[in-house]
Amino acid sequence: MTSGSERRAMPFPLAALVGQEDLRLCLLLAAVDPRLGGVLLRGEKGTAKSTAARGLSEIVGDGVPFVDLPLGATEDRVLGHLDLERAIADGEAAWRPGLLSRVDGGILYVDEVNLLDDHLVECLLDACESGVNRLEREGLSHAHPSRFTMIGTMNPEEGDLRPQMLDRFALSVRVAGEQEDGPRMEVMRRRLAYDSDPASFRGQWLDATRRLRERLTQAREILPSVVLGSSLQDFIAEVAVKNRVAGHRADLAMARASRALAAWEGRSQVDADDVVRVAPFALAHRIRPEEEPQVPPPPPPPPEEEPREDQQEPPPEPLEMPPEPPSPSPDPSGEEDGENAPGQEDPNRSEGTESVFASGEPFKVRPLEIPPDRLARSGSGRRTRSRSSTCRGRTVGSTLRRGRDDLAFDATLRAAAPHQRARRAASSSPLAILVEPRDVRERVRERKVSHLLLFVVDGSGSMGARKRMSETKAAILSLLLDAYQKRDRVGLVVFRGEGAETVVPPTPSVERAARLLETLPVGGRTPLGAGLVEAGKVLATARRRDPLLRPLVVLLTDGRANRAYGADCGEAPAAQGRSLARALAERNPQARFVVIDTEAQGRIRLGLAGRLAQEMGAQCLACEELRAEDLVRWTRNVMNSEERNIP
Amino acid sequence: MKKPVYPFVAIVGQEDLKLSLVLNVVHPALGGVLILGEKGTAKSTAVRGLGRLLGEIEVYEHDPFNTAPGQPIPSQVARVPGQGEPRVVRRAVPLVDLPISATEDRVVGTLDLERALKSGESRIQPGLLAGAHRGILYVDEVNLLDDHVVDLLLDVAAMGVNTVEREGISFAHPSRFTLVGTMNPEEGELRPQLLDRFGLCVRVEGLRDPSLRVEVIRRRLAHESDAQAFAAGFAKEERELSERIVAAKERVASVGWSDAILLQIARTSLSAGVDGHRADLVMLQGARALAAWEGRTEVLEDDVERISRLALPHRMRRQPFAEMGT
Repeated sequence: MTSGSERRAMPFPLAALVGQEDLRLCLLLAAVDPRLGGVLLRGEKGTAKSTAARGLSEIVGDGVPFVDLPLGATEDRVLGHLDLERAIADGEAAWRPGLLSRVDGGILYVDEVNLLDDHLVECLLDACESGVNRLEREGLSHAHPSRFTMIGTMNPEEGDLRPQMLDRFALSVRVAGEQEDGPRMEVMRRRLAYDSDPASFRGQWLDATRRLRERLTQAREILPSVVLGSSLQDFIAEVAVKNRVAGHRADLAMARASRALAAWEGRSQVDADDVVRVAPFALAHRIRPEEEPQVPPPPPPPPEEEPREDQQEPPPEPLEMPPEPPSPSPDPSGEEDGENAPGQEDPNRSEGTESVFASGEPFKVRPLEIPPDRLARSGSGRRTRSRSSTCRGRTVGSTLRRGRDDLAFDATLRAAAPHQRARRAASSSPLAILVEPRDVRERVRERKVSHLLLFVVDGSGSMGARKRMSETKAAILSLLLDAYQKRDRVGLVVFRGEGAETVVPPTPSVERAARLLETLPVGGRTPLGAGLVEAGKVLATARRRDPLLRPLVVLLTDGRANRAYGADCGEAPAAQGRSLARALAERNPQARFVVIDTEAQGRIRLGLAGRLAQEMGAQCLACEELRAEDLVRWTRNVMNSEERNIP
Repeated sequence: MKKPVYPFVAIVGQEDLKLSLVLNVVHPALGGVLILGEKGTAKSTAVRGLGRLLGEIEVYEHDPFNTAPGQPIPSQVARVPGQGEPRVVRRAVPLVDLPISATEDRVVGTLDLERALKSGESRIQPGLLAGAHRGILYVDEVNLLDDHVVDLLLDVAAMGVNTVEREGISFAHPSRFTLVGTMNPEEGELRPQLLDRFGLCVRVEGLRDPSLRVEVIRRRLAHESDAQAFAAGFAKEERELSERIVAAKERVASVGWSDAILLQIARTSLSAGVDGHRADLVMLQGARALAAWEGRTEVLEDDVERISRLALPHRMRRQPFAEMGT
């Protein structure tokens, strides 16, 4: 946890962190070998993620730049841009370096990296990949080296990173709060001591900090001579294959990290334990979220890899970080037990009472490859993020295109700057800068054209309610898992018994949805009307937050109703349902509706759901057997189609 | 024209609300308050009233960043040419409104266009986060704030520093503020990460006791018919409150605690199943503030018990607001 008093000049000492050995180890490994790549710290809020990253800044040494990338940064300051002041004063087209220049050879720290603007992420990845930042803008052509280690933190509750982005991080660590009284008490003691007097607290940890720094220096010296034997290289490949990771970045990360670990422990030879220790960090973010990294037993050390007696120096004392026994699982608190057969068995399946259904069967989700939309849109059309044509949203750059009176001051002034000498000669204006219409640049803003997927589900006691719920739940979770929809929101309204309830308020978080969906009661009467009214409330709230929202409402019902909404209005519940459905559709013209008819097949069919759909101008899909896969597929189809009704 | 402020002490009932606001003034390390409730439940009135109890801070004259004297002066503090150090003056603790329509450039700051045009210099035009430093940042209907503005707030709240790297500006200034937000939970939820940033959380409801409701109407009407006279009637009470706050503020640093208190806090958090450690720290700091407020220099178990009711509900994993207020 970071507190207000924490400043770069006086960070909370890394050595004073309570527990969090994995976190500390990964940061130090990245510091030992800057070529290792990035480190991603994933974990719940209020665990020492930022504090640790900041603490690293004083360990890495004075010559190594440590640069913060704030979330609100714009492209020009990240990449570099024309120096306005020099352009005005000297009429010179000088280049003003951006963050990517400042960070060369150092550490780029991005807090809440999953919230960073996508456009900036692309810029970072380009530089990260090539080691060079190439700039073509404002009449300038410039390239400079930009090699850096990226350290990112994120809380998965706020949505995950895209797999491509995840893959760029060499290592990832799961960070969780301490679960024992003792360490929790120690966290409070140290944090309050630091907050009340940072300088004297840091004084107490000066020795430990210095030892860390010295050990890091030694490790860096040893690193080039550390040997990774060929049998261990084979072992690394085996680990990667066993975990079915895509590409070779995991192998490289394991190889580099195990060398860095050997160096950190003062050895010039990597041993199998090094690989076993770092493997989970290299794998955790490259495998499916519901899986655990598998590390097979390491090979016996071949004779030529026997540790030699004549090591140059004794290994440094272990400090506060005694080498731990190798732990094959990075997340001992994880719900899934490695011993469970991989047969996708649901541990909760048989639990619960009659009225509470257990979690749905997990199934694989294949991410959809949708390219980002580069056209300006005003909220309609395909999902995914869009360049915004309204004056809201994050400024990401500037353009010559006009028409919105959304002036990009900086870009406009920079465009005007080179012409100042000539213009001043022809003018008597007292202003320092003379701006002409052709200089004008407008902001390019990016904003999420958000999508809301609202499931409205009949949870009454009718046949198949439990199955319906479990399939809906699985569909919701997999839709949220789909990385491309990380910023879309998914919600769930259930109607049953005496009324309707928003079980999952619209959320982008798979973790939050999973928590809320842990237990779902079913049974009772069928208050269809109440469900539709509740859905209307959810839509109204969502629209208030975001007027451009494009909701998709998926109504799972057989169209029956036996409980009217509100006081007795004389209308039969089913007829009332239809008129409420029509009202809902009329009041939400921006929303699209799909009715999924859950009426049992084969018997006498009433076709009530079809009539309901007609009232809403919605498509009605009948299903032989409701399956989560189909729900996901249908939902995607509708969201990807331009039309209000699918053809 | 400024609307006359309704005195804080004249608010009827709402003891939790008043207590959590006061504790944050006593001990800003608490991290703010989130006020849940429907429209018309004195949420904004209480926050505005609080403004008059905040006291003063020392700042450099004309410094838009509210730099504390003795701290490094931002390069852009207005200096009078030919003079050395800027003058130190006293100023009311800032209470800055963040309207939900605020754009990101107004929040974090942006290029000062006028200065750029007149003198060709790239200088920052400070945003709301500069003015809120060492004060209170108030967001009415915080759950309706644009997502990316929330991101920026979280970033700055976490760092205590506003780093501006945008639109040709590269600048950083300290920005530490007490975040006070209001929201009506029926109008949408708040992201868990932002929720966690609020030290305390109170639910405000309309009063049930008819005689108290009558008192609310009576006072409200009196305030509207003659705000000055109404305020004068509460001046003494308000002064006493101010003095008590000042005394508690001075005492809070010396409030101690035993290991038994730490153990009680750790167990409370673990049994509530909260994420991370922020709840523990908030409970400890809150209990200290409470002890100081009541004139003690030692945290009691009862302090922890009382503060946990304000520090935990919004941090519980499942359905944060479900069990509140019942």
